[in-house]
Amino acid sequence: MAAFSLTAPASVDAAIAELRTGAPGEVVVLAGGTDLLFDLDGAKSAPRRVVSLRHLPWRTLDWNGPVLTVGSTLPLRALERDPDLGTRYPGLLQGIRAVGSVQLRHRATLGGNLGRAAPASDLIPVLLALDADVELVGPHGPRTVTIDRFIVGARRTALAPGELIRSVRFPEPRPSAYLWQRVRPANDVSQIAVAAAYSPSDGGWRVAVGGIPPRAVRVPEAEARLTSPNPDEPDVHRAAEEAAGHLPIVTDRRASEEYRRHLVMTLVERAVHRVAAAPRGDR
Amino acid sequence: MTDGALSVTVNGRPATLAGVPDSERLLDTVRWRLGLKGTKEGCRSGDCGACTVLVDGVSTLSCLTLAHEVDGASLTTVEGVAQDPVGRSVQEAFETAGALQCGYCTPGFVVALVGLLRERGRSAPADELLADLGGNLCRCTGYLAIARAVALLAKEGP
Repeated sequence: MAAFSLTAPASVDAAIAELRTGAPGEVVVLAGGTDLLFDLDGAKSAPRRVVSLRHLPWRTLDWNGPVLTVGSTLPLRALERDPDLGTRYPGLLQGIRAVGSVQLRHRATLGGNLGRAAPASDLIPVLLALDADVELVGPHGPRTVTIDRFIVGARRTALAPGELIRSVRFPEPRPSAYLWQRVRPANDVSQIAVAAAYSPSDGGWRVAVGGIPPRAVRVPEAEARLTSPNPDEPDVHRAAEEAAGHLPIVTDRRASEEYRRHLVMTLVERAVHRVAAAPRGDR
Repeated sequence: MTDGALSVTVNGRPATLAGVPDSERLLDTVRWRLGLKGTKEGCRSGDCGACTVLVDGVSTLSCLTLAHEVDGASLTTVEGVAQDPVGRSVQEAFETAGALQCGYCTPGFVVALVGLLRERGRSAPADELLADLGGNLCRCTGYLAIARAVALLAKEGP
């Protein structure tokens, strides 16, 4: 691993100032570091400076009624262990538990997962299904970007130079589910992953599929087939067929295109059924 | 950049280190500067869990953590787990169950399990504890005996 210098600014303003100096690619942000250090060792990137966010006051978890705001540097394990997460945002809990291992989640963060924007992120599909908002701060003040606009491509985000992810806001508790298929349950990359959620406020479904480069995507063609909180079996089947048919799935070293399309079918059906079967009422 | 100075508590004793490079991983600090070779390097990429240590009581992959990121923290390595009753009970359970073959993965399993039991308490069901050990690999595939050790711990109760 190439040597770099590490700084840990004491304030948000100081961190933003640090990020603004230096050429692109010269400076990287470190939140939990679990993905970054993996990358640095493979010499995929060789930044000269690493800016750690460990002193910033963003290890927060706030419930405002059922609306959840998660600070970007909170370890995922702390979010996972929140007693209300599983009832209000079950899909998010399942997504978090799919990330790495317990040891890894003690350091890994939601902000890091989004900022690094891995094509196989286990959290991005869930955030798409939950319509999460990404709250940023930067040289020109704060702004909020919806998750579908924040993730631009593989390892590419809407972050402007000097901008940082401060928090992620989940606006509405939803019956939701996250299902994946991979070789090893822990510390592995999903061959296909599916997040599904039903929105009580607009009566619509969200179906997002991950594990296909360059980024997780929602599948509007599948969502359009689901028109009630408890869709009929033929509609669920058609939604799954739409997803399997429309996605730009390819063969790579992890799985063949054929197997992946089969997985999309199966996992979309299962995820929708699981969401439809979830208890309703006061959340 | 940092000034290279690093202060940590290691297995209950304060340690002050100088000249630690900014890019050094905690794994290398533990093994080569602190001389605690019980912590193993397996994959160095977060896949195997052999390098697990406790940082302020919670299990952490020392290969994916920069040393300076834990400045001021309290570290527990496998050499220090026997300092408390939870650690001793895990060691005894591994002994009773014969939960090791070549032994290379054992420190990682023991430390990870100590962290889990501290975090979740002794009433956690064995199957959940086992699932939460999914980040640890045994290349000898001696998982059955490790599962027996976990079952012993879960049976003992609080």
